[in-house]
Amino acid sequence: MGSTSQFLFILEALVFLPIVLIHLTKKNTNAVWLYLIQSAAVSSLLLISSFDKISFLLLVSLGSTILVKIFVAPWFFFRLIKRHHLKFSASTQLNTPITLFVIAAILYLNQTVLSGAFATFSSSDPNLLLISSAGIFISLFILINRRGVLSQMLGILSLENCIVTFAIFAGLEQNPGLQFGIIFDILIWIIIANVFASMIYNHFGSLDVTEMKKLTE
Amino acid sequence: MLIFLTIFSPLAAALISTVMKKVKALELLAVLSAIIEFIAGLAIALKVSGGEVYKLGSYFAIDALSAVILFIVSIVGLSASVYSVGYLREEVKKGIIGFRRVRQYFILLNLFLMAMFFAVSTTNPILMWIAIEATTLSTAFLISFYNKPSSMEAAWKYLIINSVGLLLGFFGTLLYFTVIGGENSSSVISWPILLANASHLNPLVAKIAFIFVTVGYGTKVGFAPMHTWLPDAHSKAPAPISGLLSGVLLSVAFLAVLRFRSITNAAIGPEFTGNLLIAFGTFSMVIAAFIIFVQPNYKRLLAYSSIEHMGIAALGFGFGGLGIFAGLLHLIYHALSKSFLFFTAGNTFLKFSSTRIAEVRGALTKLPVTGILLMAGFLAITGVPPFGIFISEFYIFSAGVSQHLLPTIVALLAVVLIFAGFLQHFSGMVFGEAPASIPRGENGILTLLPPLFLLSLLVILSLFLPAPLVSLLNSAALIAK
Repeated sequence: MGSTSQFLFILEALVFLPIVLIHLTKKNTNAVWLYLIQSAAVSSLLLISSFDKISFLLLVSLGSTILVKIFVAPWFFFRLIKRHHLKFSASTQLNTPITLFVIAAILYLNQTVLSGAFATFSSSDPNLLLISSAGIFISLFILINRRGVLSQMLGILSLENCIVTFAIFAGLEQNPGLQFGIIFDILIWIIIANVFASMIYNHFGSLDVTEMKKLTE
Repeated sequence: MLIFLTIFSPLAAALISTVMKKVKALELLAVLSAIIEFIAGLAIALKVSGGEVYKLGSYFAIDALSAVILFIVSIVGLSASVYSVGYLREEVKKGIIGFRRVRQYFILLNLFLMAMFFAVSTTNPILMWIAIEATTLSTAFLISFYNKPSSMEAAWKYLIINSVGLLLGFFGTLLYFTVIGGENSSSVISWPILLANASHLNPLVAKIAFIFVTVGYGTKVGFAPMHTWLPDAHSKAPAPISGLLSGVLLSVAFLAVLRFRSITNAAIGPEFTGNLLIAFGTFSMVIAAFIIFVQPNYKRLLAYSSIEHMGIAALGFGFGGLGIFAGLLHLIYHALSKSFLFFTAGNTFLKFSSTRIAEVRGALTKLPVTGILLMAGFLAITGVPPFGIFISEFYIFSAGVSQHLLPTIVALLAVVLIFAGFLQHFSGMVFGEAPASIPRGENGILTLLPPLFLLSLLVILSLFLPAPLVSLLNSAALIAK
């Protein structure tokens, strides 16, 4: 039981750390690799949680999750980077020390506000839930801090990964049919977001969201 | 069967549209599908008004609360579909769009309607979330329809902000599920089951969950400060879509907030949720009031007015008691008034080729019917008697004045400021001196019939509420309390 807990903790760390590193990395390709690592960790968690209830539908759902998050999404992102030569992108709103300070503040607030609530979930380890919720908030911060369209997409997908992780640790995984619905929704989102990213590049010559200033009050 | 019709009809229309080769066939299909949805929607609302819950399998059921929103989607959906035909014909005539764009439009319009009918009909919170997310995905390309940098920017903003909002709403939804736990029970989690188990929900978890849900789905409703996508999206989309986004989609998202509110109230009482809704409602009204007053663009003006009206409805639900009935009534009146105003704004845009208030003068001389509709719309949306919004606002503020005096006064001041803002903008647009270069005459009968239909319905429902509708609203208010 102890080793299982440790393994789960390592997987949770592999979900959480990429979010912090996405904030710090200067290369878009690295950000996509970090998302891929995070998605692999989430898929592993899903696999572990489904060991005791194997069914065909569950396998299909798990397979589609792996397909979308580990293969399709990174493929789309690498394609976008290659097509628009977006290998490097250092643009963030805040510099690295301030970014780290904000992340620390988020962690502190998360611990202070939510630990009481998560302690009431009898079937789960509150620490794992707290790391998942911290991941949710730090992913949100990616959307505010990073200027690139690609980073915003990664922020949203990372946010979704953290919510899935939270659901696993809280014992709230949905039935395979609903999981399939959610992952299908995400697949469509990834495709649409990529189409938009390309259209934005064609119109603005950049994927930096601060370059988009055509909407005025 | 009727629920199946409301969902399957637009889906079938969207799928068949992909292989259509003629504009006329696309138009006919969209209108035919909307008529089926309209009849089925009204039939369901009528059945439910008797107090029963209309069911289809274990995943779909329509109670009185869903039926109120279904009523709105059916009516505005039909009007928007007919108006789309007239509006797009004018744009094709002007060479703004071609056949491929028209086909794309009708496919997405039908998918959008299907997602809304699905969201309203399902009893499963996760399916509702998927359907509301589907509304975002289907409308993103409608917002960027004209393929201009500004519409692209608006669509991106819409996609990102709403996706984040909905993910937060999803997280909140999962927190509610902790009362039942995961395992196999998750397959049958529905609104009634969550409500039945609400008393076991930890109070702190219930509060945190409701905050996430209100912020999440509230983003889609257009509550300030999460509203920033709304004016951009509503002003850049084609007019019929703006009408649907503003009149219907906001109400569909509001339904999600109300569902979770009932569960939270059953767990911790109505005070916490009421105060949160009052806070969001008041803030939304204040923000909207100041921006409306100085707004130079009439489509954005209408969009900010939607933020204001969602704020008023939130106040009604927050105040409780009579306010809940009035809040629901307000959603109906707002849907009818705002969609018909967006349609008349569309007619104005077709004639003047500008959305800037300063460039639209003398609409009454150039567009005699649309000019009158614009004026009627201004009176209706600002709550001038005898229009229904006056009645619903009166009820809402009456409900608030005894228990929540300060927010009621702030809201009343905001309403006055908004009236002044609308008056200054609309009087110039309707009565000012028209530019000589613009020819006189309406755009086409199909651009006039839908707003006339909505205005007529609004006037009738303002003066007389039929007994089935009153019964439906009373039952819905009991569910939403």
